[in-house]
Amino acid sequence: MWYNKCVDLLTVSVTARESAGEPYTLVEIAGEADVTNTDELRRLLDEEVSQQPHTLIIDLSGLRFMDSSALHALLRVNRSLDRQGGVLALVSPQAAVAKILRLTTADRLIPVFNSVAAAAAG
Amino acid sequence: MAREGKTAQRASAAQEALTRQPVPRRDGDGPLPPTDDPMSYTYTTDLAAIRAVVHRYALAAGLTEARAIDLTLAVSEVAANTVKHAKSPGSLKVWYDAKEIVCQIHDEGIITDPLAGRRQPSLDASGGHGLWIVNQVCDQVEILSDATGTTIRLHMTLPPA
Repeated sequence: MWYNKCVDLLTVSVTARESAGEPYTLVEIAGEADVTNTDELRRLLDEEVSQQPHTLIIDLSGLRFMDSSALHALLRVNRSLDRQGGVLALVSPQAAVAKILRLTTADRLIPVFNSVAAAAAG
Repeated sequence: MAREGKTAQRASAAQEALTRQPVPRRDGDGPLPPTDDPMSYTYTTDLAAIRAVVHRYALAAGLTEARAIDLTLAVSEVAANTVKHAKSPGSLKVWYDAKEIVCQIHDEGIITDPLAGRRQPSLDASGGHGLWIVNQVCDQVEILSDATGTTIRLHMTLPPA
């Protein structure tokens, strides 16, 4: 779409990890996530969900901002994982991101942890 | 109709507010963004720039960091609607006095639902959270929408100096 040219605001990196013998996928999202790059974010996250991970951890510590469009992308991941028996966890949201999670009560639906290690330990 | 009269009165008050120069609360609040008219911006997809401007003004006006984040989120959500629906640039105006900071966003989109943003959408909904969030974080939200477009004015009350 025409507004999809600001993806450089957002960086997403994915690594496969292991905690106590249990594999998990770690997705680190950094920058600012809003309507201008949500399609790209959704595409990247869908790709990971399609790998059917048991645990998907999204590290938000590098994310300065998230709007409702990006939040919907996370909620969509949560629904998809839930359907396929997987688990989504969020880690270390900054103030602005924590605010939208709290306002929308998304933080009651998706567990939020202080560290990747804590999230991996479940 | 009484209701129309009230709306018209409110609109003229807005015109007056826009032509008045903002009154900073203190000297040395930091530089305003570099532009010919520091109170008015046109945007297309540069929402990050809009957020930076609003956050800076919010702090300069005297909002706390937490409230500045709220206002930035609100403005970003409204401007995101421009990107999604208006298909033409939007404009942002910011002004403040000793009592409040106001952000006004105008675009050519039209809002037909008089209760837009007043009901909390389900987390399963694929959209509709934007204006609801705006209503949650701002002290006052005015929405004026007609055939020519929509003007949304967000008010945040400043803490006592």
